[in-house]
Amino acid sequence: MNGYAGNIVSINLSTRNITMIPTKKYEQWVGGHGMGSALFFDMVKDKTIDGFNPENVITLMSSPLCGTLVPSGAARTEIQGIGVQSLPIGWFTRSNFGGRFSSMLKYAGWDGIAIQGQADSHVWIDIRNNDVRIRECDDLDLWGTDTWECQKTIWKDVAGKGVYGDWIKINEKGDMTTQRPAVLAIGPAGENLSRMACLIHDAGNGAGQGGFGAVFGKKGLKAISVIGTGSIKVNNPKALMQSRLWLKQEYQFDLKDLKFNTFVMGFQSPPVPMALYRFGKPRVGQRPQACVGCTAGCRGRYEDGIGNEAICYASLFYYLGKTHLIQRQAADLINRYGLNAAEMFVGELYLRKLQRMGVVGKGKEIDCPLDFNQYGELAFAEQLVKAISFRNDGKGNPHPFGDILAEGFVRAAEKWGRLEGEDSDLKTGLLKFPHWGLPKHKLERSQLDWGYGTILSDRDINEHCFDMLRAFPTYFKQYGKTLPPSEGVVQAITDKMEPFQGDMKMLDFSTENMYSDHIIKLVSWHRYYTRFWKQSAQLCDFRWPDFLNLYGPQQTGATGIAEQRFFNDVTGKNFSFLDGINLGKKIWNLDNAIWVLQGRHRDMVQFADYIYTKPGTTPSGYPEYMPGIKNGKWDYVITSGRHFDSDLFENFKTRFYKFQGWDEKTGCPTRKTLESLGLDKVAEELEENGKL
Amino acid sequence: MKPKISEENGLSRRIFLKYTGTIVFAMGSSGYFLNECGAKEDGSEIAISDGYLVVDVEKCQGCISCMMACSLVHEGAISPSFSRIQILQDSFKKFPDDLTIEQCRQCEEPACVAACPEGALTAEAEFGNVRMVDKEKCTGCGSCFLACPHTPARLSVVEDETFNRELKSLKCDLCANAPHHWDEKGGGPDGKQACVEVCPVGAIAFTRKLPAQEGKSGYKVNLRGENWVRLGYKNS
Repeated sequence: MNGYAGNIVSINLSTRNITMIPTKKYEQWVGGHGMGSALFFDMVKDKTIDGFNPENVITLMSSPLCGTLVPSGAARTEIQGIGVQSLPIGWFTRSNFGGRFSSMLKYAGWDGIAIQGQADSHVWIDIRNNDVRIRECDDLDLWGTDTWECQKTIWKDVAGKGVYGDWIKINEKGDMTTQRPAVLAIGPAGENLSRMACLIHDAGNGAGQGGFGAVFGKKGLKAISVIGTGSIKVNNPKALMQSRLWLKQEYQFDLKDLKFNTFVMGFQSPPVPMALYRFGKPRVGQRPQACVGCTAGCRGRYEDGIGNEAICYASLFYYLGKTHLIQRQAADLINRYGLNAAEMFVGELYLRKLQRMGVVGKGKEIDCPLDFNQYGELAFAEQLVKAISFRNDGKGNPHPFGDILAEGFVRAAEKWGRLEGEDSDLKTGLLKFPHWGLPKHKLERSQLDWGYGTILSDRDINEHCFDMLRAFPTYFKQYGKTLPPSEGVVQAITDKMEPFQGDMKMLDFSTENMYSDHIIKLVSWHRYYTRFWKQSAQLCDFRWPDFLNLYGPQQTGATGIAEQRFFNDVTGKNFSFLDGINLGKKIWNLDNAIWVLQGRHRDMVQFADYIYTKPGTTPSGYPEYMPGIKNGKWDYVITSGRHFDSDLFENFKTRFYKFQGWDEKTGCPTRKTLESLGLDKVAEELEENGKL
Repeated sequence: MKPKISEENGLSRRIFLKYTGTIVFAMGSSGYFLNECGAKEDGSEIAISDGYLVVDVEKCQGCISCMMACSLVHEGAISPSFSRIQILQDSFKKFPDDLTIEQCRQCEEPACVAACPEGALTAEAEFGNVRMVDKEKCTGCGSCFLACPHTPARLSVVEDETFNRELKSLKCDLCANAPHHWDEKGGGPDGKQACVEVCPVGAIAFTRKLPAQEGKSGYKVNLRGENWVRLGYKNS
């Protein structure tokens, strides 16, 4: 099994049993998400349990590519289980983080971890090669620490008498490395079961969605540390090296010939931190910082040590912080306390609106201990973060505000009575949580792949595959730059979308095409591609798929050629790009079956009310442009300012389910479809539970 | 709490420290010791290497692609512990002290070569006088590891699967003897080095000029350039 460590470690915190599962048993799923879903399906007999139930299983999976030389495909860790963040229930969901955890896990000899049960004391898991132990937090005073303190304390413990900077002996056998353990930790937010609690690895690798920080907290699990000194065998070392250099030569940014000096998607991107602070990129000495094996780091470390590795939503949180420094310090706060940056960003702006409306404040309708006179100062952000993390007033005193908000902004709004009647904040759009009780990301009424993909699954998909079709046209129009003809762009991309290649109308984002069968194919392809190549093979979302590339031949990217090339170099299999798409379809079906077993019905698949009545607008006020057909010709068309139509969306769902081979009335995968995918036992469990 | 261990893993493990006491004894009893001039005890001189690796620690992005490539071309498997070049980093520290690259210096006066009691560490003209390990002769005693004056030691000792898991020393040879080298012409000073070729940002370079031996400045250099500055990074 080239590319694999060979075993998955299963840890039951209730019984404190540690057992091994041969990876071979789940090899058909390859790794990552597919393997995690299959493990979850087998291990959790009652899928209707709540995420806080001890029987909930959390899987952390690598892939055969992790820890190898596959470019921007060697570092992700997929985490799955029943979450506690979404509504109306916590769906079986996923999150994912980068860094060096999955690679280190494999060097230690493990392809993944499955955690079940609930410890009767606060514990952490210490993995040193094949030695896996459940250890007490009390011994190191870990419980109560923030995510950074926790990691540093564990580093020191693992080093023993050694000193980092030299070779470290990690066990009595004398296994040695210069590397620090890779630690995944929760902060106070997770300990106190905030549904917004995330997991943090190193300074800024976060698994935010799903509230897995709270699930860890409920299980009494503070952290998982892993250090390994073993190796991963690859099928063809020479070929892998040649492939890596081929990609570098043909597709990777070239410092001698820079096409961009900012972060962009794909391999054409130079190594630039994707810091989205209101004041721009930090203007202090810095380096780019990359996950294991990445071509271009998307994070930074800074000479003042502030905001290390904070990007994307972490850098957006506290967008109205008064200074650059305050914004960066606030990003550190949510990473250290372990909070979901996306929900904190959108939620904090909601709070500010309520305060300006006179609803929130000391002694107001919603009694709030925050001093809004300090809004923009670090003290305000710190009090907010602490209030949610400790479920109090943010200054150590009991207060319902933090306790309510720790449940998440939609649950808090409901508790505050703001979701009742025609003025509900989810009808007016004041509360921008458009799907599954989760915060807005992209404009779902504009970026249809994103909007449909999210509502037809379980969470904000956060998959940027087609995001460049919004980003480039929108910014180019805004700044008056010349765009390449959209028809050529669309053709180059759709040519790679096997097995639907050639259907250019998959990328027609015009209003006339919003509910078409072509868009159904786009959404389907996206579900299949990401379920396998991104979330199971674990290629990075920021670099894959590489559709368009100014360095590539005819300015096309590596996708469709590179995925399987690297996969086969490592594993020795004769796997095609389409094999990956087909396996992605199988995994997508398994996930949907799990959701049905949890209680999903097509009637629940609904956006928040405002999505059907309010036009989608951008924060900047500038319109969004995407490729589309206008007056019979390909162009870039305005895609913001429109809303979904409820009836047309229902019809879209019906045709989407039919396209998947599912029951159009319920949205449940059918026996015929499941059996055609080799998911017979899944069909049986659905039938046993009255779903078929 | 320990799980049963599967032998399917096929992991090589560094168990060198177990033997540390033995090594010290062996060194003392056999009369091998570090000669100040770096020459072997018999007085023979060691020709300087035809090539060296220099690195830019401020440009490095910490992706450890160099480490993986080094391990891959030499061992056919990937492990940071098999790498002859080591990236050490701390997420929480301030730039530039958050990261360092530590590579073999192909020392003008190589203490490792001088210390080897088996004559397994040599500098052969046919390989550009790179200081390299002859695994057939190496007994894995660790004398070279102990003799290396740098921290961390630029060599390591691991169980080698191709030698029935006997302990063998690993040391940078500029890819002169890399069994899984990707290029027909191979490596060494006249060929290509995996770490140099794979580094996405050009933070590792090959030079034929002997770097200053004292201190670190000869080996830790500035490889940035104008376009690096265009990306928002400092050049000094």
